[in-house]
Amino acid sequence: MSAGTPERAARVRALLDAARKIVDPEHPLGRRARAELPALTGLSPEGVEYALQHHLEVDATDAEIAALCASVPEVPCAHVLLSANVFVAALRALALGLAASPQVFARASRREPLMLELLSEASGGAFRIMSELVPRPGDHLFAYGDDSTLASLRAELAAGVVLHAHGFGFGVAVCEPAADARGEEPCAGEPALLPGGAPRSLTRYAELLARDVAVFDQRGCLSPRLVLVNAPDEIVSALGRELGRALSALEARMPRGALSADEAADVALYRDTMAYAGELCFAGKGCVGVDWQGRVMLPPVGRHLHLARTSDPLAVLAELRPHLTTLSVEGPPALVAAAQRALPKARHCRVGMMQRPPLDGPVDRRVSREGERL
Amino acid sequence: MKIEPTLATGDEVSPVVAESEALHERVRRFARASLEQPPEAGEFEALALAIARFQAEHIPGYQRLVEARGVLLERYESLVGVPTEVFRLTRVAVHPASLDVARFETSGTTSGVSGEHALRTLATYDELAVAYGWRALTVFQDSARPIGPKVVVALAPPPSSTPGSSLGHMMQLFMRCWDGRALSLTPHGAAFDGASPARWLASPAGVDVEGLKRAARLALERQEPLLLLATSFALVALLEALAGAQIPAPRRTVVMFTGGFKGRSREVTRGELTQGVARVFRIPEEQVVGEYGMTELSSQLYEGSLPGSGLSGPPGVYLEPPWLRVVPVDPATLKPTPRGEVGIAKIVDLANVDSAVAVLTQDLVRRDESGGVQLLGRRRGSRSRGCSLSFESLLAPGRPA
Repeated sequence: MSAGTPERAARVRALLDAARKIVDPEHPLGRRARAELPALTGLSPEGVEYALQHHLEVDATDAEIAALCASVPEVPCAHVLLSANVFVAALRALALGLAASPQVFARASRREPLMLELLSEASGGAFRIMSELVPRPGDHLFAYGDDSTLASLRAELAAGVVLHAHGFGFGVAVCEPAADARGEEPCAGEPALLPGGAPRSLTRYAELLARDVAVFDQRGCLSPRLVLVNAPDEIVSALGRELGRALSALEARMPRGALSADEAADVALYRDTMAYAGELCFAGKGCVGVDWQGRVMLPPVGRHLHLARTSDPLAVLAELRPHLTTLSVEGPPALVAAAQRALPKARHCRVGMMQRPPLDGPVDRRVSREGERL
Repeated sequence: MKIEPTLATGDEVSPVVAESEALHERVRRFARASLEQPPEAGEFEALALAIARFQAEHIPGYQRLVEARGVLLERYESLVGVPTEVFRLTRVAVHPASLDVARFETSGTTSGVSGEHALRTLATYDELAVAYGWRALTVFQDSARPIGPKVVVALAPPPSSTPGSSLGHMMQLFMRCWDGRALSLTPHGAAFDGASPARWLASPAGVDVEGLKRAARLALERQEPLLLLATSFALVALLEALAGAQIPAPRRTVVMFTGGFKGRSREVTRGELTQGVARVFRIPEEQVVGEYGMTELSSQLYEGSLPGSGLSGPPGVYLEPPWLRVVPVDPATLKPTPRGEVGIAKIVDLANVDSAVAVLTQDLVRRDESGGVQLLGRRRGSRSRGCSLSFESLLAPGRPA
């Protein structure tokens, strides 16, 4: 049976249609989502609303759905184990499960079980919610979670189960501004981002990147956490300030949600470390840490960006390859092309689109289509 | 590592160095006095603030940190701690590298990136380490015998193989100050050699059990206490190498252990370690004494378990010298936790005159009822939230910008 068989695509399309009820603020399921998700996810109500309106992928094209179906093998039985990091991710995970099999068993994370319930109700039970998943040899398990959870699964699952393990990852933005880049809006008729080229307006670039950062408060595996900048000192410094401003402005419209105690502790550590060892630009409740030495470190979630100045972003990217899920390169076309060649498994997109991958397969392309037979 | 400063004789002493010297002298005076009688109220705080202001004035990074935290360094409570991670990212010193006399290297933790603690003078470090170590590791109230020299050896690699180790420096200092003789009865009057392989009884290949037996035998012959300075993982290796065998040693033998296991040996509890070590030397468990120190500090804490010593406290509880204070703080707000609650350790060490008078660690601590500090391991980053990862885990060395 080919990847584009009508049955597989129809199951996916039906799920997306059902999910529209959750997007609709007037629908009872949509109302319930808005009422309960803030407490379950830690996102602000505005953050939940924004994610529902802009990041629940209900408008996929036929071509995208066909690609999604082709991205997974057709199997008798699929299991889906969700994490709680990004609540809208349940939709794509289930779509992949339904593309793979008419028989799908799903388990939510204990922290956020609601989205799965809503999708089940909206779809009239297109899949079965389980308290425990017990895949048998030959079944495929699509698992999302941290690396320690996935390691436990590998140890515990029965031999013969096929695991599609989506673990830790993050996004990186690379910026090589035009030589005349300015921290202001472009003049009339002047493009802010050159097509396939370098940003000319740091202000506009920062606004677009701030959107990628703010959504889901950076808890997603596509969320940009690191910006590699190849530019003179004054441009790097200006970009840090512009990102701080853009994140602050966005926070006024979409407040950051609550952080866990551990996350807040990581924030204190990162903020004080970068204040001393680099340059700290405040960004609402978050911050941008500018590192002139080009050291790569991962700032905590909650709208924090680490901006590393480097003359060789490709070398840094090569070291990050195992963790890198999505990449936005704004710079000379040669750099963009080189990054695409160097990181074929990362999703490549323009800045501002890092959290909006088309529904054409897993967001994380590091995992092989066939999965990992245990 | 110990290095020669490149300041030539006759070079003018800069105002920074002069101010530093004056502060060092104040700290040493404070330390000497505080060991005799408790300091005046507010004296510690005033000195800590004076050093912090000196550091903020001369270290742009610390000034930025203080400004970012929005404090004025007018009140002791506002003293801002420098995260230990900073030592791995940048130089933490009021003076230029050309004036360094020692650079102690931090271990790399999970990221494998090490940092350094640069010192312009070792005078304060050495005097205070010896003064407090002596109180913790020496039995004063043994009327049968006067306090004399000890035979001091280390279950640690020789300084030549770990030139940047502050622990190695401290161990060698204790050997010189409390032993100071050749590790042999013959020839009589042979010179002390702090780098002698006979004193450094551990290496990546394992522990030198025969060397340790020789040192213990020498202490018995001299009728002196044996002081064994050891890392915890080296002691575990010793226990495994001995497999239950014992080493005859003087009754007054004292074993100092320090540090965690860092994946270099199997992990054992404090109780297992002290019991096992006490059995090896046939000494009471109280004579196995824990030390807590870190490269980023210039002072050390000890358990006060050794009967008759200058310190007194329950096992597992570490006692601060009067010139150092551990403040458990909330890891998110960095404000002191209520007494008895767990926090990360903000350590105010007056001896850190030229680097960071207040250091913020990620070590979990609790103030004990007895007044000491319990060490509860290291705070882990926020791994609980799915695919997040502690930022230090990804730290990679800088590249040319």
